[in-house]
Amino acid sequence: MSKIKHMIGKSIEKPDARDKVTGQALYPGDINLPGQAYMKVLFAERPHAIIQDIDISKAVKLPGVIAVLTAKDVPVNEYGLIMNDQPVLCGPGSKKPFAERVRFIGDQVALIIAESESLTEQAKKMINVEYQDLPVISDAREAKNDHGKLVHPDRESNVFCHYQIRKGDLEKGLHEADVIIEGEYITPVQEHAFLQPEAGIAYIDEEDRVTIMVAGQWTHEDQEQIAHSLDLPPDKIRVIYPAIGGAFGGREDMSVQIDLALAAWHLMKMGIHKPVKTIWSREESIIGHHKRHPYFVKTRWGATHEGKITAAEVELVTDGGAYAYTSTKVMGNATLMCTGPYEIPNVKVDSYAVYTNNIPNGAFRGFGGPQGAFVAECQVNKLAEAINMDPVEIRMRNLLREGSLLSVDTPMPKGVTIDKVVHKCAEKAGWKNTDKGWQAPAISKKNTDIIKHGIGFACSYKNVGFSFGAPESCTAKVELHGKDTIEHAILYHSGADVGQGAHTIFIQFMAELLNLPLEKIHLIASDTARTGQSGSASASRITFMAGNSIVGAVNNALKKWINNERPAIAEYEFRPPKTTPFDPQTGKCQPNFSYGYVAQVVDLEVDTQTGKIKLDKVICVDDVGKAVNPLLVRGQIEGATVQAQGYALMENFIQKEGRTYTPTLSTYLIPTILDIPEQINSIILEEADPIGPLGARGMGEMPFLPFTPAVVAAVHAATGIWFDEFPLTPERVISKLHEKG
Amino acid sequence: MNNAHPGLPEFDYIKPATLAEASQFLVQHENESRPFMGGTDIIVRMRDGFWKDKYLVEVKHLEGMTSIHFDPVKGLTIGAATSMNNVAAHPDIQRYYPLLAEAANSVASYQLRNRATVVGNICNASPAGDTTGASMVLGGVLSVHGAGGLRTEPLTTFFLGPGKTVLKPGDIVTAITFPIPPKGWAGKYIKLGRNALSDLSIVGVTVLGYPDAATKSGYRFHIVLASVAPVPFVAAAAEAVLAEKTISDDVLDAAAAAAMDGCKPIDDVRSSARYRKLMVRNLTRKALDEVWTKIK
Repeated sequence: MSKIKHMIGKSIEKPDARDKVTGQALYPGDINLPGQAYMKVLFAERPHAIIQDIDISKAVKLPGVIAVLTAKDVPVNEYGLIMNDQPVLCGPGSKKPFAERVRFIGDQVALIIAESESLTEQAKKMINVEYQDLPVISDAREAKNDHGKLVHPDRESNVFCHYQIRKGDLEKGLHEADVIIEGEYITPVQEHAFLQPEAGIAYIDEEDRVTIMVAGQWTHEDQEQIAHSLDLPPDKIRVIYPAIGGAFGGREDMSVQIDLALAAWHLMKMGIHKPVKTIWSREESIIGHHKRHPYFVKTRWGATHEGKITAAEVELVTDGGAYAYTSTKVMGNATLMCTGPYEIPNVKVDSYAVYTNNIPNGAFRGFGGPQGAFVAECQVNKLAEAINMDPVEIRMRNLLREGSLLSVDTPMPKGVTIDKVVHKCAEKAGWKNTDKGWQAPAISKKNTDIIKHGIGFACSYKNVGFSFGAPESCTAKVELHGKDTIEHAILYHSGADVGQGAHTIFIQFMAELLNLPLEKIHLIASDTARTGQSGSASASRITFMAGNSIVGAVNNALKKWINNERPAIAEYEFRPPKTTPFDPQTGKCQPNFSYGYVAQVVDLEVDTQTGKIKLDKVICVDDVGKAVNPLLVRGQIEGATVQAQGYALMENFIQKEGRTYTPTLSTYLIPTILDIPEQINSIILEEADPIGPLGARGMGEMPFLPFTPAVVAAVHAATGIWFDEFPLTPERVISKLHEKG
Repeated sequence: MNNAHPGLPEFDYIKPATLAEASQFLVQHENESRPFMGGTDIIVRMRDGFWKDKYLVEVKHLEGMTSIHFDPVKGLTIGAATSMNNVAAHPDIQRYYPLLAEAANSVASYQLRNRATVVGNICNASPAGDTTGASMVLGGVLSVHGAGGLRTEPLTTFFLGPGKTVLKPGDIVTAITFPIPPKGWAGKYIKLGRNALSDLSIVGVTVLGYPDAATKSGYRFHIVLASVAPVPFVAAAAEAVLAEKTISDDVLDAAAAAAMDGCKPIDDVRSSARYRKLMVRNLTRKALDEVWTKIK
């Protein structure tokens, strides 16, 4: 038998690539079923109000309208990934207290189901909603202390989550410092801007399950939230993911899922057996799903002349928007990562998540990490400047190493490689490790009166997998078919391929472990009726978690194969080492079981006449443990870099008094092919994670984290100005340049 | 059946056989019909509910609408429905009117420029129109077929406000013509957008300059600014400075400052008024510098 081995480490083509490029792949919006009805959402489009009355009488009389659903039609009118604080439909008539309130412009008021899409649109205009507007709460910093104006009147405060870390003695640490850098930072909202807006189709399947074909990140979590709202057992709900057009965290929470399920189930009860389809417009998508959290930060760090960081104090206030979504978890990460990948003896962190009437904020690539990294890396770069030390050198003197204690007072999981990553990145960018320590390269490009050049350095770490005690596991089922030899194998797995290539990776693991050619591996994916609990495609966890589950399932199946079971069928649930939540007083915890490490150098130029920043070169060194598919790894590095470029320089989400002024992709701009860096040099390190599958670590989010602070450092090198708030739009840059004079 | 954009209302697509027929139809259906060429603005505005026309009157198939003709004596004629890509790629335009090619190439994306037209850009009367400035400084004149027959409309008096022009119901612009450019001229269009592809301009600066014995300075400049006023803005004060004073770095500075002081931009999602004014100064100065270096 020929050896097929070494499928791991090979840049094989994604099996779905050709279909996607040629338009053959079916995304939820492309799927049509015979006799389908259409659904449209009536959004509140006002940030804060009480609904006095909803009059649907005219709409339901329009010929072709099948049903109009409001709050009273939702069996359990609440949902939420972390807490059930959001009504499915806002309005009077449900048991949920205060569900008659709308708390942001994207709150949903009614679902219109009709024979055609244009009829839903027509009927929507015939619904009359009587609102009593309430004062709008739009500033998280004000809302934090204002207990008179509440977004959720059943709570005592707008603050819905607070963490604190107390390590060592902050005052002592500040006293030991030769320099103290104080900073106030603001990070912006960011929209996911995935290519495929929310869409899906729901029907009752042959086993009477309410079945929803939709794009998401976690089939079983969707299933659970739908089941809760419909007051049905989870096994009466079936969630299937067809091709998914990008996610980036933006599909972690519910959008169309519950609506579609409710519609199909309601029609069934009316005796109507019709699939129900919906597609959101881009505008609906932008107001209808959450964004990346803005953070408001006050901080001070101290260091000695020798470059030892002695203390860090950070206060984080984050705008959760109208509902919690994943704010508490995102803030957990930010709370940990705001002091960077450094061992600091004295740390005090306080973080607060606050409700407002803004669009909710939630999961987005990096999950609190980018905001934390921005603060930490800017502080370290400023400390380096203050003590006249090279930015790489100061990092080398403080980086976390094997056995280092985190701010939460527990040791890092084994396999810490941030020092190797920083070393490699510095070297690649021309730094020299001299007797006097690391020294930055001289900038070779000549400045003119108008164009100024600069390079900047930053590094970050990011957890792989769920953190802070969240239940974490991943299940795979494997079937081995054949007689004397394994002829083909089937993998059942829920892990979502959101475009990153997860399913390609799964197949590569199977082929490697079973020594089978790729075409002998069949994948049955993301269908709660057939595939087990996998957890979400988020937290850079899918390769790590699914890989481990596949390794376990293959091993179990091979044991049965040896015992002559045909087919040999085995399941395996992988559980990583346990994590624990923050201690309420000290914050002490075991936050994570694995990390990925990354460093970046950004080389750019600033046009001081227009404020435009042009990226010449980005060097990104990323330790991925084992690159299962190097091409996909490079794709993630380049994709994360470009998405971070938008975050750092261009993407300007404008919200005032709870209303958005950028609800389209012509007002909210993301980088185009002509804007991206001239060159992205992706350098992959493979320092095995001791508990990663074949050594692999997660890597999907990591390259996003250091980008903004590296840009800010480069702009500082070019202009002498520190930017503590971004995006660095030309206008913001010019305005600061003029202040400087 | 499956309407991809439920906001796009139903409309009738009218394909008249002659210009006269088209004009007649447009007059008969005043306020509910429009001439249709590339459609890059019409379709979007109809989808978004801003325009509610019942009829789109196809005119791009009519004779001469997509032709480009250059005559070394009379100048250039571009059929109204000629795509921007065809304008930008035409050898005579690249050779004799490179400023127009440059401006056409700065519009949105290649795909869009396959349908978008220079005349459509002008008739839209957006103050942000990228090709309007070049068309104005090059002395563009529109040929219009209206209910009363053929006439011409110079661009200098064409714009009345955002989206508003002197065109009346029944009017169909059939072509834009340009005279032979002045001897020794050079031009420059600088567009500042938020991204490098597809954005509308935050500010656009078009400059054309040439030797002119009739002015005190010996040179004449035409300067048109985009996105800084309700209509494409002629920076007359800056032009006057450059006509009257012997050109020097200080005079170029003064002209750029005059351009800035003369315009009255607004705040919007793309930029503040303050930034726009600063950019008018900096980019006018930059464009003047480039043009002056070539013509002096």
